[in-house]
Amino acid sequence: MAQIELGGVSKTYRDHIAVHALADVNLAIEKGEFAAAVGPSGSGKTTLLNLIGAIDTPDTGVIRIAGLELTATPADRLADFRLRHIGFVFQSFNLFPVLTVLENLEFVPALQGVPQAERARRAANLLEAVGMQDLRDKRPGELSGGQQQRVAVLRAILPEPDLVLADEPTANLDSENATLLLDMMERLNGERGITFLFSTHDPAVMRRARRLIQLRDGRVARDEVQAP
Amino acid sequence: MLFWQMAWRNVWRYRRRSLLTVLTIGLGLAFNILMRGIGDGFHEQMVDNSVRAEIGHIEIHRAGYQHDPALLKTLPDPQLIEQVVPHTPHLRGYSFRVLGDGLASTADNSAGVSIVGIDPRAERTVTTIDRAVIAGKFLDARMHRPILIGERLAQTLNAHLDDKVVLVVQAADGSMGAQLFHVAGIFRSGSPELDRGVVYLLRNDAQSLFVLPGGLTEAAILLDSSQSVAQAQNYLTRRLSGKGVEVLPWYVVEPFLRQFIQLDDAFFYIIVLILFFVIAVGILNTVMMSVFERVREFGVMMALGTRPGQVVRMVVQEAAALGLFGVALGAAVGSGLTILFAYTGINLAHYAEGASALGITTTVIRPELTASNLVFSDLSVFCVVLLVALYPAMKAAALKPVEAIRHI
Amino acid sequence: MKCFAVLMILSLAAAAAGPYPDALTVARKCDAALKGKTEYGKASMTVHTPEWQRTMQMTFWYDYPDKTFIRITAPAKDAGTATLRLKSNMWTYLPQVERVIKIPPSLMLQPWMGSDFTNDDLVKESSLPTDYTHHIDGEVTEGGDLCYQLTAIPKPDAAVVWGKLVLIIRKTDFLPRREDFYDERGVLEKTLSFDEFRKAGGRTYPMHWRMVSHTKPGHETTLTFSALEFDRPIRADIFTRQNLSRRF
Repeated sequence: MAQIELGGVSKTYRDHIAVHALADVNLAIEKGEFAAAVGPSGSGKTTLLNLIGAIDTPDTGVIRIAGLELTATPADRLADFRLRHIGFVFQSFNLFPVLTVLENLEFVPALQGVPQAERARRAANLLEAVGMQDLRDKRPGELSGGQQQRVAVLRAILPEPDLVLADEPTANLDSENATLLLDMMERLNGERGITFLFSTHDPAVMRRARRLIQLRDGRVARDEVQAP
Repeated sequence: MLFWQMAWRNVWRYRRRSLLTVLTIGLGLAFNILMRGIGDGFHEQMVDNSVRAEIGHIEIHRAGYQHDPALLKTLPDPQLIEQVVPHTPHLRGYSFRVLGDGLASTADNSAGVSIVGIDPRAERTVTTIDRAVIAGKFLDARMHRPILIGERLAQTLNAHLDDKVVLVVQAADGSMGAQLFHVAGIFRSGSPELDRGVVYLLRNDAQSLFVLPGGLTEAAILLDSSQSVAQAQNYLTRRLSGKGVEVLPWYVVEPFLRQFIQLDDAFFYIIVLILFFVIAVGILNTVMMSVFERVREFGVMMALGTRPGQVVRMVVQEAAALGLFGVALGAAVGSGLTILFAYTGINLAHYAEGASALGITTTVIRPELTASNLVFSDLSVFCVVLLVALYPAMKAAALKPVEAIRHI
Repeated sequence: MKCFAVLMILSLAAAAAGPYPDALTVARKCDAALKGKTEYGKASMTVHTPEWQRTMQMTFWYDYPDKTFIRITAPAKDAGTATLRLKSNMWTYLPQVERVIKIPPSLMLQPWMGSDFTNDDLVKESSLPTDYTHHIDGEVTEGGDLCYQLTAIPKPDAAVVWGKLVLIIRKTDFLPRREDFYDERGVLEKTLSFDEFRKAGGRTYPMHWRMVSHTKPGHETTLTFSALEFDRPIRADIFTRQNLSRRF
């Protein structure tokens, strides 16, 4: 069984007119994949990530993650699901400005109930593992954009989620920082086997993905593995 | 723990806004406490005046006298009362009086008056009427048939010192009693009722005028403060139960005074409510703004797995931190000011004219600070802060992460 | 035919006016039966209360409507106390202090000498025919006499404290049998009953009056007259302040 399964999923947003963000999407993603959802803006990649990330619910279809049927889970349990299974990296403003880098990393483990000493230790270790330990007591306001995004990735993987969803993580970065970010993501994916699914319209980023899921008008237009 | 840390740091994050909010709460509470203190001090003074002018803290009569006064309703066992009263807790003084009504008459005019027969030395320990004498002297047992009249009565009757005044009464045996008295002194108590309608005689003279040998109508008792009334009343009621007397505290003898105080308190509560409303609006504004500015942050928090209840807690904790500072400031400033004014007194001399019309004879008010009022005010304000913060907190918790994240 | 119609209308009108005589006339006659132009007499007044009882003797002169003089002649403690009314001014002389004091209007309702008659009752400043409007309610029998029941309501500008008076008046000689006094709220305060109708001073007169208080239980005052004279001229110097303190 694939780690992520989508069957017949569609989502429509109703504003003044109905927008079919996703229409009849079928998808299977295995554990450990390093995949990118690509397509022009409005193609539905953000919606796809939102649905998989359980911060939105589809109108039709079934979504299964790590064997759990998301679509059958009641709304009030979704937050808990996200807490234990999903890591998020957003385009920007990921980190909490009033917490230090270390504390930002501790946030999700704290929600999970990990005791203070233990979670501080894990966070510190992770920072050291990637050579960013001198940032530990700095506030996000003191970091560069690139540093912030890298810390966001660390925060996402620290609680060892089943998968990390990153919505256009390099959109606000220059090419050097974008590369650094992707290096880190790739390395963590390789070392720890955490599934990465990110959306992008940056060709440089697309080239780094091992699988490309191409979306157009809410449907999967092309889905193929590619050599890095 | 983590949320409390975030809440705390968020307070410092918006330093100026937080300071303004703390000031709003603090000053609002301080004003509250000071006003309460002034109100309490004022009321205590009014009670004190009335008590010291005429009625004492407690009065003892024959049972049924208060409801239906009559000359013949004298105290049934004065000796027993004379034994019991000196042991009253918190006692400062007591005095036995003879009370009746009659007509005071001079060549020019007549007026209906209340007649009070007193023992001057005992009366001094209870009331301050002796200090209100503005012409002549207070009564003295050595004088021959003296009468002490109020300033306004003296004007009505056109009576001056040493003039003769006839008192005509219906005596206890039904006959008409009439006797001549000479004006030994004129008093100005500040209370229109006293100055216009009450005359004082030596007790023996009153007893002879009313044909009431040995008869006494009431015992008036002064305590160290009006807070001691309950205890003293308990003692007297216990020791005198079944003896055919009524033991009445000042607010039964003069219910108008207490009603006035209660009415005044009601006005105060309205002001308090307005104050709370102002504080509430201040808090609401602050918290709503800080929530609105962090919509995206809340979105991220909830996407990461924070539950709505935890969001509410965090926002309320921020408000609670502001509330704590505000209450601490308000309590300190409020009690500080109250104690300061209690020391210096607030001088109302400008309003003396109007005040005396209400029977208020004091011109300096000393505010009072009681622990219970202080605690109650603090707690109320703090609760208002928490309650008001709930609204924006719940709004934040109701955000949908999907939309919130997209919020700029 | 026209004549008959007019007759019918007249008799119907007469019938509509009621079977009773005009109320004002009855009131006038009652007033005249009890009072003369002047009066002189002696009376004995006894006041009963639950606590004590006293009897006084007094002599009185009335020159209606403006002058009244009453002097107490016994017992010794009260002897010499005298009251004078001229129009709406009232003075009392107190022998104990040898002083004349003026009674202010505010005290007109106070009991006179502790009795159930007020100062106002005794000086009789108000007049039944002129200060009230009247209505005959019907006929009753009281004490064996056939009587009219007359209700008198004070006129708006009358200086009268009562809300209503109800008089039971004998049909034969228009003397009253009973007078009920009601306050403004319609509460019955006291009742004055008249008894012992005898010839005195040239007319039939109730020689015994009894005022009973309904608001103070156990309180009543009785007046027994002797030596009554009506309509004889009275010396002017009787109704003077000098007369108050004169020895008698």
